[in-house]
Amino acid sequence: MSKLLSTLLQDARVWQGYQHRRATQPAESTGYQALDNQLGGLGWPKGALSECLLDTWGIGELHLVLPLMQRVSEEGKTIFWLNPPHTPYAPALAREGVNLGHLVMINTQDRNDFLWTLENCLRSPVTGLVFAWPGKLASRDVRRLQLAAEAGNNLCVLFRSRQHVEQNSPAALRLELVPGEHQELKINIIKRRGSWPGQRCSLALGHRANSIDHNSVRVVQGPWPKTRR
Amino acid sequence: MLWLYLHFPHLLLDHIQRNQESMGALAILDSARQCIVQACPTAQNLGIETGMRLKTALALAPDLNTLQAEPKQEAWLLEDQARWLYHFAAHITLVPPDGLCAEVSSLQKLYGGLSAIWQTIEQALTERRLTAWIAVGHTPLAARLLAQTGKGECSADKAHLLTALGKLPLLSAGFDKKSCTRLQRLGLNSLGEVFTLPAPELARRLSPELLARVQKIEGTRSDPQAPWQPPHIFRQRADFIQEVEHTQGLFFSLQRILAELEEDLCWRQQDTDTLLLTLQHRHEEATRLRIRTTGPEHRAEAFLKLIRLKLDQQPLKAPVTALIFTVKQFTDREVPIGQDLLGETADLDEAWHTLISRLQARLGEQALRQFSLKEDYRPECAWFAKEVLKPGQKQEKAPASLPHRPIWLLKCPKPLTQIPVAWLSGPERISGGWWDGQRVHRDYYIAQLPGGELAWVFRNHQDGWFIHGWFG
Repeated sequence: MSKLLSTLLQDARVWQGYQHRRATQPAESTGYQALDNQLGGLGWPKGALSECLLDTWGIGELHLVLPLMQRVSEEGKTIFWLNPPHTPYAPALAREGVNLGHLVMINTQDRNDFLWTLENCLRSPVTGLVFAWPGKLASRDVRRLQLAAEAGNNLCVLFRSRQHVEQNSPAALRLELVPGEHQELKINIIKRRGSWPGQRCSLALGHRANSIDHNSVRVVQGPWPKTRR
Repeated sequence: MLWLYLHFPHLLLDHIQRNQESMGALAILDSARQCIVQACPTAQNLGIETGMRLKTALALAPDLNTLQAEPKQEAWLLEDQARWLYHFAAHITLVPPDGLCAEVSSLQKLYGGLSAIWQTIEQALTERRLTAWIAVGHTPLAARLLAQTGKGECSADKAHLLTALGKLPLLSAGFDKKSCTRLQRLGLNSLGEVFTLPAPELARRLSPELLARVQKIEGTRSDPQAPWQPPHIFRQRADFIQEVEHTQGLFFSLQRILAELEEDLCWRQQDTDTLLLTLQHRHEEATRLRIRTTGPEHRAEAFLKLIRLKLDQQPLKAPVTALIFTVKQFTDREVPIGQDLLGETADLDEAWHTLISRLQARLGEQALRQFSLKEDYRPECAWFAKEVLKPGQKQEKAPASLPHRPIWLLKCPKPLTQIPVAWLSGPERISGGWWDGQRVHRDYYIAQLPGGELAWVFRNHQDGWFIHGWFG
């Protein structure tokens, strides 16, 4: 029995809690101190896939990656947007300090093209960051993309539906994004490499709504009830 | 002056054979007279000779592949040969249908002697798998006669050349038939005997044209040759005797053509970004493919990869009988700016162009877009999509005061169906477009929907409520 146990322990596939050390994998800061703290002080893992799982658009998912986008475009690397669900609005991005010259939007027709394009972008040295909105992805495909990201040492963020939370995925970091009551974004870490999952944090993204602006004072009630007959 | 003449005895045959890896007997056919004009060695072994009727030839070799000769195509081919010869010599004259004449006396110093030139040309011919008879002469016509009879020698000695010319039979001197018969009746059989005749008598008894030709051969009368200028276009054609059904079959000749293109571009110190590929079919309209690279390129390997991608995307609709490859746009090669010592930026530039070209070749040019700002009050007009361009060193400066806008914009506004739980900001009135007929008159608000998402909603002048964007 003890022999069986010791062979099992020697197996590299068994992760042992006491061996936990501070991960030294390369990473990019998220730009949000609260989230960085939860991610072991590191941030988005480089050379790996990150997944954001969310139900609807418009809950602050792009503001989460905005500091990263600003930094990458400043470095002069290209940011690819693959099959975004809506049009990324250029004036808003320019206002946030993202250099539009480094953004490239790609729309693909079918799944094979999508995977091929994503893989090519990830393997290229010119890529700084890839955002992708895949529809359905097989676990095998995610692994393929993970390998491509490792080969190119690039950062890739996949935005997927929250129904994939229960599924297992080879991505290095998985975040569940839920909107809060007061325009904040609640982040639940489902998986991260080299540490326990389950941390939660909440980012205040109220500035998205321009609510600090004095304009908001004037419309507390809103015109909605008045126009209804 | 010394002239070098290249006589291509079966140019069309060579052209066909170098585009296909292996094939059986091949003969070129004169369509008007239905007889064989050129026959390849395999066909000759089967007993096929030039001038033979097609029926006889087919009886001898039932598997004979035939191709009809077209004068237009022969002219193209000759020009192709002139193009590579122009790499070696500056003053070239085309002698249709099958000869090229180049002035070489001015090149002797450059190459280090006539024999060196001879060797260079012979090597170039072997590389291109071409058969040509070479001759040197002190006049263009002398060189031509020697080449056409295959008596060319690498010698610059005028006396020696004249003796060689003198031994040529009258029939191969290219005189018109009538004069030839008259000279033969006089008992003259070789060109040397005509040279000895007194010039005034020759002009009086035969014709002044004959005298002019004799003098041009001898070199006593000037024979100016207009130099040929290479056209600013690269064009190559490959004909397939056996129709090509799979794209793989095209790559054998494409590789050769692209290698020649690379050599040509290197020699011109130019790059290109557009290739035109026309695939001809027997019964259907030709397929035209346009292959574009994002940046200037000259390497055959890069072009081949793009063409491979393009052809993978687009299966052949019918077997291919011929392939025409054209490059019309050339750009001068840019000198890389040595900004950094290790040359890393140049590498990244190249990698960027390679990646974007690859993506465009597979997905189509429309699939890749970049955004830019436009001065307009209307949200849907304040931006536009454009073709992907390599970002320059200078950063595009955003205008200082841009209004607060959502990052997601809906392609067209969607009716608001849920009642928002909170109104956060607004109204912002946008009214404009009276100048171009697309009038917009809206009040914009930022509202939080029950799902927790922040929407950019507007009310138009008809009291309709719509969502125009998401604050992602």
